[in-house]
Amino acid sequence: MALPISRAIEVTVLSGENLRMDRKPIKKNAYVIVRTDAENFRSTEMDTEGGSYPAWKEKLVLDLPGHARAMTVEVHCKTSLGDRVLGTAIVPVSDFMGGFVPESYLHFLSYRLRDKRGERNGIINISVRMKMSGGGYGCSSSCSPASEMKIGVPVGDSSFGGAVTGIPVWCAYPARHF
Amino acid sequence: MGNCCSDDAGGRTAVGGTAASQANSRDAPNDAVGCFFRSRGYHGFFSEIELSLSASDLLDRDMFSKSDPMVVIYEKGRDGGLTELGRTEVVLNSAHPTWITKHNITYHFEVVQTLVFHVYDVDTQFHNIEVKILKLDEQQFLGEATCVLSQIMTKSDRSVSVDLVSREGPGRSNRPRNHGKIIVHAEECVSSKTTTEMVLRCSDLEYKDLFSRSDPFLVISKVVESGIKIPLCKTEVIKNELKPTWKPLYLNVQQVGSRDNPLVIECFNCNSNGKHDLIGKVQKSLADLEKLHSSGQGENLFSPTSVGHDYHNKVLKSQLFVDKIAVGVQHTFLDYLAGGFELNFMVAIDFTASNGNPRLPDSLHYIDPSGRQNAYQRAILEVGEVLQFYDYDKRFPAWGFGARPIDGPVSHCFNLNGSSHYCEVEGIQGIMMAYASALLNVSLAGPTLFGPVISHAALIASQSLATGGRKYFVLLIVTDGVVTDLQETKDALVKASDLPLSILIIGVGGADFKEMEILDADKGERLESSTGRVASRDIVQFVPLRDVQSGEVSVVQALLAELPSQFLTYMRTRDIKPSV
Repeated sequence: MALPISRAIEVTVLSGENLRMDRKPIKKNAYVIVRTDAENFRSTEMDTEGGSYPAWKEKLVLDLPGHARAMTVEVHCKTSLGDRVLGTAIVPVSDFMGGFVPESYLHFLSYRLRDKRGERNGIINISVRMKMSGGGYGCSSSCSPASEMKIGVPVGDSSFGGAVTGIPVWCAYPARHF
Repeated sequence: MGNCCSDDAGGRTAVGGTAASQANSRDAPNDAVGCFFRSRGYHGFFSEIELSLSASDLLDRDMFSKSDPMVVIYEKGRDGGLTELGRTEVVLNSAHPTWITKHNITYHFEVVQTLVFHVYDVDTQFHNIEVKILKLDEQQFLGEATCVLSQIMTKSDRSVSVDLVSREGPGRSNRPRNHGKIIVHAEECVSSKTTTEMVLRCSDLEYKDLFSRSDPFLVISKVVESGIKIPLCKTEVIKNELKPTWKPLYLNVQQVGSRDNPLVIECFNCNSNGKHDLIGKVQKSLADLEKLHSSGQGENLFSPTSVGHDYHNKVLKSQLFVDKIAVGVQHTFLDYLAGGFELNFMVAIDFTASNGNPRLPDSLHYIDPSGRQNAYQRAILEVGEVLQFYDYDKRFPAWGFGARPIDGPVSHCFNLNGSSHYCEVEGIQGIMMAYASALLNVSLAGPTLFGPVISHAALIASQSLATGGRKYFVLLIVTDGVVTDLQETKDALVKASDLPLSILIIGVGGADFKEMEILDADKGERLESSTGRVASRDIVQFVPLRDVQSGEVSVVQALLAELPSQFLTYMRTRDIKPSV
């Protein structure tokens, strides 16, 4: 499902919700590291205003290696005692690649964060889009009214994402005209 | 305003203005914001429309000249009764008049608003009389026309031309006579789209707390004629700060009234007990604030103090600065409609055995030969009759779930029309017919699974994205019971939250629907899938269909009312513009 070559992706780290450290809402200095593999990672600035609801709205451009199946999003907090990982979320590549959705589609994704012990700790909101190499067609620009085209074969994984179960094959989807 | 701050997380956030739907779209669902919008009539839900009228080829009723036409505009109620909305002026001697009088009408997305126009020829003898007091039965009737407001709003030029008909009945003449046409043009009032963005800052605020600096926030109110202050928005609370800069505020010109309307900007110190102390205030119009911005200077806050019976204002050292002020236009739901966006309607019907044998009158699926609609039919009609105007080809995908088709195993997503190739039916009538015939052709079974139909709707939505369609999808699920596959349903919904799709669930029958409310993020936490992904926005609305008394606002209308804002959240977060 993943392409063999490395692709550039644009991850915008939007905001976090209800972040806690030792069960207490954090005050400030939360930041986020996004990793696509051991070598490829980028970090946001520290949020100083939002408290336990930090907002970063920071765009990070990363390479997505062809073998990568998921990226990780880590929320850290800097305190006087040092740097702590508040929670981590695993983002499957299939959440923003594959299926019928155009490659340049801007995906808004949110994930539950879990700490080292696997306990729930807040939510992280991000948006992800594949960087198009030259002449990218954004959704808003490619929109042409009432296109009567037939659907082509989807790129990559044809079963519309990973986790959905039970799409009845006999519903004979491709016969539908749009 | 004060007790809003009693709950910690919700209360300290900014409220009001027009960008809030954008700002809060991915934040935790905020009931306060929802109530606030509802109470104030946030224009995602409705909008002021100005109607202009013209006509062509009107009949000549006067002997030696053309007619002197006037139009009376009515709104037709659900019971068929007409309510007069207004009258135009009389245009003299014209068969192709363009009336100048404009009529304002409030467009409600969730209601089918039928407009009726009666055109009269007003005789010369009445020309000196106010049109409002003209007796209509003394005037000559030139014809009437009917159209639906949403029909006009979905046209790209916002105009429809309707043939006038006489009400004399067919008996009078056998050949249809040309009575001319009336052209109705609708325009959204421009002020509703213009928003002003402001960044405000204060300096040298006073200490109000005993052991720390103040926790300031601003409340902006407008002053109406009677001197009453109406709060428009408030900023977030900045803790422990004497020179705060708040996040951008968004004010709508319609809320403010005009640029010269006085606004009271009050700075409070937030107290967790809800009794916020006033630090100081200023009174400025938007125009004044613009001047303040361009001069780069601050305005001193004052605090009203009472000395005996006299009130006088004590000028404080604290100052208010305007760091940024910019006027922008925010696209409305109607802009997107005019730009060719459509809402595509899809239906999924519950065929599980808990509905009861459809041949027996106590079944929820019983089709009464007298024509009385069952709960399923009512739900489909009530939603469908509103949404059909926003779907241009009026071909609706329709599915059933939880039944065994003639010679197969139980299916959780079968085409209602019986076809194995395509799922679409023609028009609302098509849905009703396919539903009735499906009842004869399938045997009810179970369990109640939503996952497959939601995934199917999501597939259609994602395929539409692939072809660059300007479409937003609305799936209506009508069900009599609680879902069995709650986690799979959640998984499918979480995935769908990233697509142009909203889901309406109507519960029919007497079951306990408490579990269904979990799916509606308005009433609980954000949906979480089994893999830890969380819904990026609220796309589900659930409502149980109880017997609606006549005259009551239908629950279905309340359900539909949220669609425009869900649509706008999707478009605005992706920065999709209405025009090509």
